[in-house]
Amino acid sequence: MKAMRKRHSLLDAIIDAVFSRPDTVAYPFGELQLPEGYRGAIVINPENCTGCGLCVRDCPTGALKLEKKSRDEFKLIHYPARCAYCSQCESSCVRGAIGHSNALVGATDRPRELIVVLKDKKEGED
Amino acid sequence: MDKISIPIGPHHPLLKEPLSMRIDIAGERVLGGTLRMGYVHRGIEKMTAQRTYVQDVHLIERICGICSHVHTTTFCLGVEKLLGIDVPPRAQYIRALMCELERVHSHLLWLGILSKHVGLETVFMHTWHDRELALDIMEGISGGRVSHAANQIGGVRFDLSPEQEVMVKENIGKLKAQVSGVLGVIENEPALRARTQGVAPVSADLIRDYCVVGPVARASGVDVDLRRDDPWPPYDQLDVNVITRPEGDAWARTLIRALETRESLRLCEVLLRQMPEGPVTVRAPRKVPEGEVVTRSEAPRGEVLYYLRSDGSDKPARLKVRTPTLAVLSLLPEQLSKIHVADIPVVLAGIDLCIACADR
Repeated sequence: MKAMRKRHSLLDAIIDAVFSRPDTVAYPFGELQLPEGYRGAIVINPENCTGCGLCVRDCPTGALKLEKKSRDEFKLIHYPARCAYCSQCESSCVRGAIGHSNALVGATDRPRELIVVLKDKKEGED
Repeated sequence: MDKISIPIGPHHPLLKEPLSMRIDIAGERVLGGTLRMGYVHRGIEKMTAQRTYVQDVHLIERICGICSHVHTTTFCLGVEKLLGIDVPPRAQYIRALMCELERVHSHLLWLGILSKHVGLETVFMHTWHDRELALDIMEGISGGRVSHAANQIGGVRFDLSPEQEVMVKENIGKLKAQVSGVLGVIENEPALRARTQGVAPVSADLIRDYCVVGPVARASGVDVDLRRDDPWPPYDQLDVNVITRPEGDAWARTLIRALETRESLRLCEVLLRQMPEGPVTVRAPRKVPEGEVVTRSEAPRGEVLYYLRSDGSDKPARLKVRTPTLAVLSLLPEQLSKIHVADIPVVLAGIDLCIACADR
């Protein structure tokens, strides 16, 4: 065995691999554990958003759009298919209104899911 | 014997990225070769002039999928130099930690590719499994497995929590054990030595003539490493051991990268131990004063150079990137002479090509 080990330096690793469990996750059948800080779906805290447009200005892929009629009437739209999930919007927002959740964003065949209205503020609403 | 020209690429199972080669052979002997590049040219340098500095950080991260962090770090260092702002020490340490982890994952990825080309699929499986540990660390602290989005002008985007530091230390401990196993294989495995020793040796003079940098240069005995020669903080406070080998063949290039992985893991531990407390970012103005600057960093494959010219607006007037792969590629026709046909994959894998970096 000793002579074999000397000749085959991989022998130990191969024996270990035979008795160890697989490292891969059987996703989507098994549970996928993403780290806490994973940059997943874009979420918004509507109370903090004032429609200032700082996130829209800095977004490198143009994934955010602000339709602003007045200070009290605006709509913030996110296009997930354009988004690079780089967290620039989170860094640019001075009120901590926009950020990531750690939910995985998968591919979709439903076109409606490719446009997400993050905030739709009508006049007179808070 | 008659000369035959074999076209390889731009799309070929041997290549991970598009590159066109024409290799001249006579029987089993390779006589030489020519290269053609530019299949993944995306015009990134030009595109940076159309976007703001803030947006450019994310664009530059897409130059390369492996050494993405070092590109943004070098760019941010240049912009910060023009702005005249000092990055907090903790941010500098986190930047360097990410750079070293990137080197670990890049070298392990490459070791796997070389092992696959020489027929050691077991080592390929093991190194790629170990590389996942390095990627897990980076995903855990930055939120992204490959595009870390760690840098912003003025610092880094995230801080390391005490729990994350424990996780990083644990995984680095595991990686150290795994890398010493890989080193044992490279030094002792007869199959690997037979396929790589004495294959396509490159002399130190040739390395200097072609301005080759990084592990390929160090494997030929050329002692260059920007972490020691032109360090940005915190590398100026670290004692970086530059590893060189005199052989210059494919085996030396393999061993160098395995030893550098071990050295990078040691540096990660030092960085974590010495990491100062404090903020991780400072506020940076959007408009950059007029001027030009050159910044250099040691990427996993060698020196990355950024030239940046600002006209006083919030968009760069000109950005020029020099990546290490182009110099190594220019040496490829030289390396492809005086070898056997069976050695072509070993030579190609041995120089760790990154075509996306070179074409931009």
